[in-house]
Amino acid sequence: MGKIVGIPKGLLYYDFYPMWKTFFEVLGAKVITSQNTNKKIVDDGVKNSVEDACLPVKTYVGHVMDLKERGVDYIFIPRIVSVEKKKYLCSKFLGLPDFIKSLIKDLPPVIDIEINYYKDEEFTKREFIRAGKMLGRTKGDALKAYLKGMEEQRRFKNLLKEGFTNLEALKMWEEGKVKVREERRRFDLKIALLSHPYNIMDEYISMGLIEKLRNMGAEVITVEMLNKASILEGVAFLPKDIFWTYERDILGAGMYFLKKKGVDGVIMVSAFGCGPNSMTEELLERFYKREKNLPFMLLTIDEHTGEAGVMTRIEAFVDLLRFNKKAVVV
Amino acid sequence: MKITYPHMGSLNMILKTMFEGIGIEVIDPPPSSNKTLTLGVRNSHEFVCLPFKINVGNFIEALEKGADTIVMLGGIGPCRFGYYGQVQREILKDLGYNFEMIILDPPHGRVKDFLKELASHFPNVDWKVALKSFMLAVKKMIAADKLEKFLLIQRAHEDAPGITTKIYEEYIKKLEKAQNAREINQILSEGMNKIKQNANVKRKIQLRVALVGEIYMLLEPSTNMNIGKTLNELGVEVTKTEYLSDYLINSAFKLPQRLEFKKNARGYLERDIGGHGLNTVANTVKYAKLKYDGVIHILPFTCTPEIIAQGIIAKVSRDYDIPVMSLVYDENTGQAGYQTRIEAFVDLLYKRRGL
Repeated sequence: MGKIVGIPKGLLYYDFYPMWKTFFEVLGAKVITSQNTNKKIVDDGVKNSVEDACLPVKTYVGHVMDLKERGVDYIFIPRIVSVEKKKYLCSKFLGLPDFIKSLIKDLPPVIDIEINYYKDEEFTKREFIRAGKMLGRTKGDALKAYLKGMEEQRRFKNLLKEGFTNLEALKMWEEGKVKVREERRRFDLKIALLSHPYNIMDEYISMGLIEKLRNMGAEVITVEMLNKASILEGVAFLPKDIFWTYERDILGAGMYFLKKKGVDGVIMVSAFGCGPNSMTEELLERFYKREKNLPFMLLTIDEHTGEAGVMTRIEAFVDLLRFNKKAVVV
Repeated sequence: MKITYPHMGSLNMILKTMFEGIGIEVIDPPPSSNKTLTLGVRNSHEFVCLPFKINVGNFIEALEKGADTIVMLGGIGPCRFGYYGQVQREILKDLGYNFEMIILDPPHGRVKDFLKELASHFPNVDWKVALKSFMLAVKKMIAADKLEKFLLIQRAHEDAPGITTKIYEEYIKKLEKAQNAREINQILSEGMNKIKQNANVKRKIQLRVALVGEIYMLLEPSTNMNIGKTLNELGVEVTKTEYLSDYLINSAFKLPQRLEFKKNARGYLERDIGGHGLNTVANTVKYAKLKYDGVIHILPFTCTPEIIAQGIIAKVSRDYDIPVMSLVYDENTGQAGYQTRIEAFVDLLYKRRGL
């Protein structure tokens, strides 16, 4: 029987699950994830984490504890240093496995390979081979699984570019169904949502923000739906590129919408105490204020955020956008 | 051109020596104060780290004094410090200031290349002259850091409250004015002697505490509320783990210190995570092994590398049975609250030694 590898449903799960799941399954392991985020997971995470850590990290700790309770053979907590050349991720990803191992006692063995494309792909390949060895498989097997994983990852990425959210794309990918994007509702507004997927794709943490906006008649565009060229076009408006991949994407998307329009408003969602976002928010807010022609709202979420408060703010924002639109039409 | 820069420990002394050495007028920002912090907080993002806010305050105060050029360090991540300058420039622009901002990438490898890049912003300057004044500045910095290291031990034994601090401040001022290496050495040894003569209190139980954490917070006594002095006054010898000279020399010449950090942190943190997170973990292990009585970890609110380190050193504390306390600083930190916590921590350390 294959070993069971647990993957916590937090942080970059929303970006790389197809790759990771495929890799382990091709190697003959059974992959399970933690449950969807719920109150217990957040409470466990908050209780066992450092007070000042951001909400996504605390939630991740809760997911690891969930997997531990469910008795898996391995937990996959990669150290993700870089996902493309010459760019880093936020510090928390660089020290994640060490951090988790220090916080939670008696963990099952952790597969803590380093994903690092800063220089080239070779390093990361070697690390996946190391993961394969932990599962008792050969180098050849692991490489094959790696390539298959990359292929699945590309399929998943293509779904994002078709306009599906990470969550929808993950579901479609897992169920293997190819769906045409349904025009569920008639949307009369288009709103760009600038955020890390681990904030807005987690329906518990974001309190179903995307569904809420859609129910109000707004089509939602996320950063992941934009193609790289548009993001880079946006980045070109900045005085200097930034060294974090996901912040570059957020800034680039923000500048792209500001200059090229195509949306009625922009909402930026960030977690309380998020270090990188303190830089991107500051810049975007200033650039939007200078041009004064595209409404921009900041939404900060933490473990105490109340649903009613968020609802009031997005309702007011959507009303404002509709008001703006009519003013133009009339 | 009237140049200014942010405060960071004794950095102003070096930059001043260097720029004046190449004939450029310098406008020192007023020492960081509550007003500086207020200005910074008012004009910065709520969750940006404290050093950023104080920088902004320094810049505003210096621009008000007539500076027209800001020199700032850049970086390639992953610590957000590397992007500070880019964001600060936009903040100051929106405030209506007219200035130029020079953002220098940190030296990777040779100091010479760094100075060449610096010199490219000042076309009329010979970089050989710049190198000479830079070396003098570095010597001053090393001397100032040595004097501080000495003070943090000796002040715990001072004969009358405040006496060694006074001597220290007097000699730092003398160092600033020194013209050559010989003078620097003379001032340093004289200062150390004088401190030593005024520190004769001996105790049966002598506590030692290591200060680890984020470098800016450790370098700027105004932001950490002079925690070294607070501990010294409670009779505790203090070893501070971050000095500007160590930092600059290490990043400039690639000394093996980084390898030492990696070795010490092994089993707890396996790589550099940006900022000084790795240093914090490595230093906590190092001083735990050296049988220090306790470790105090200081960090600015929302500092990601230090938050990761904070989680990890809690385990070091359990494994080595050494008390570790993390103090998080932001603009709302109150002196009295931290004084109480530090006193309680020191009491605990005395209890553990059987007093």
